[in-house]
Amino acid sequence: MARLSRSGQKTGKRSAKRLILFVLIFGAAALVVSQSAPQIRRVFDPVRTTAGDRLGGGNDISLWARMSGQVARERRIRDLEAEVRELSRYKAAAISMAERLEAYENILNLVGEPPVRGVTARVTAESDGPFSQTLLANAGRSQGVEPGAIAVNEGGLVGRVIQLGEHSARVLLVTDFNSRVPVMGEVSGVRAILYGGRDGMGSLTDLPERSEFIEGERILTSAEGGAFPRGLVVGEALRSGDDWRVRFAMAERDGGYVQMVPPPVIEIPEPIEEIPAAGETGNPVQASAAQGVRQ
Amino acid sequence: MASRKSGRQRKSLWSQTGPTLRLLFGAFAIAAIGLLGLTPKTLFGLSIAWPYAALWGAIGWGRVGLSIRPMVILIVFGLIQDISFNAPLGCFVIVNLIVYGLSAAIAETFDVMNEPLVAVVSPVLLFIAGFLVLWLLASSLEDHAVRATPLFAAFLTTGLIYALGHKVFDLGRAPGQSAGQGA
Repeated sequence: MARLSRSGQKTGKRSAKRLILFVLIFGAAALVVSQSAPQIRRVFDPVRTTAGDRLGGGNDISLWARMSGQVARERRIRDLEAEVRELSRYKAAAISMAERLEAYENILNLVGEPPVRGVTARVTAESDGPFSQTLLANAGRSQGVEPGAIAVNEGGLVGRVIQLGEHSARVLLVTDFNSRVPVMGEVSGVRAILYGGRDGMGSLTDLPERSEFIEGERILTSAEGGAFPRGLVVGEALRSGDDWRVRFAMAERDGGYVQMVPPPVIEIPEPIEEIPAAGETGNPVQASAAQGVRQ
Repeated sequence: MASRKSGRQRKSLWSQTGPTLRLLFGAFAIAAIGLLGLTPKTLFGLSIAWPYAALWGAIGWGRVGLSIRPMVILIVFGLIQDISFNAPLGCFVIVNLIVYGLSAAIAETFDVMNEPLVAVVSPVLLFIAGFLVLWLLASSLEDHAVRATPLFAAFLTTGLIYALGHKVFDLGRAPGQSAGQGA
């Protein structure tokens, strides 16, 4: 009898634990579903940014380097790496400027883009899971990174800042399926929208029907939509069957650092006073037409 | 003969360790490997598929039946994974808990978990289930079928490493139970 009651207790405990497990799974599912509402998702953003700060905030020389007495060498390497990054920025700027100069020659009175200053940060974490492909850099709002900042590395465009903490920034990579970058061919001038493919290469959509890219030409940002500045190197155009693909330049020169430059700011035009209606000022449209006939 | 007998009686330190300590050790191993996985991982220019370490705990800890402490640890790991993978909070919690629940259900169904077929097939099925749930969740939440290749690579590394180190996640008996007490 005692044995029976003990086994009954065990069954009761087991079913209680099972119930707890189901409640937890359903709770988690409810949490996931609730985040489809932007208002609720925004509630969790501080949690994510705080965690991002903790995960990606460190900028010190490694403990191993300190223990093995390689601090001076480590510093020298970092200085040289910083110099290389600085020089590669000039290289990218030169390419961009050459492309812009051509546009200036074609279009008179083109308003130039002001030179941009960025924040360089170390990539502290990368996520290549089933969800969005992002990386975490160890610079945030307090270092001067702005929301929506453009991330570039030695190779070219890396992505755009989608989450910003005090000391960290999460960058959505251009290789992600959800990323959309307006691009153009450097030589052909053909415009398209670039998004990340499943094989680590970029796919192009919204291509014009008549004109085509040139195999091997450099793909640059076109600045349409105003999210990215014009002329940043994205990659190289490759023909794949009937489609055009892009080999990302950022993947070839990945030194573990990104520079985050502020997004282009396009001022909203101020509203001007409405032009008075034709009937209000003695029908000027008709008057001018009559004048034209007289002349 | 006597020496062989004494050798047989000698127990390893791990076999003498209780489930709570084993649970903590396993959790520490998962946390350490998970933190390492956050760093950029390339070897000779090739990116390495990092294992989803929390699944080891979900499978190993579930083999002794359901318990509250492993569930809490798996929820914590799930939330950390959600943040590090930029997934909606709760996704990896669901995956970890489902795999944990299935592992416990299999252990309850088959009395002999050390039987070779069950010992090999059940973790494989559980890993497949875990990664399938993850792929379905990611695809439905991202509005498109997400890439399966990195998931498959992670599935392989997770499974291979579990095959080598599954004993680290073997609790022996459910935490909170004394020796000889059934699950």
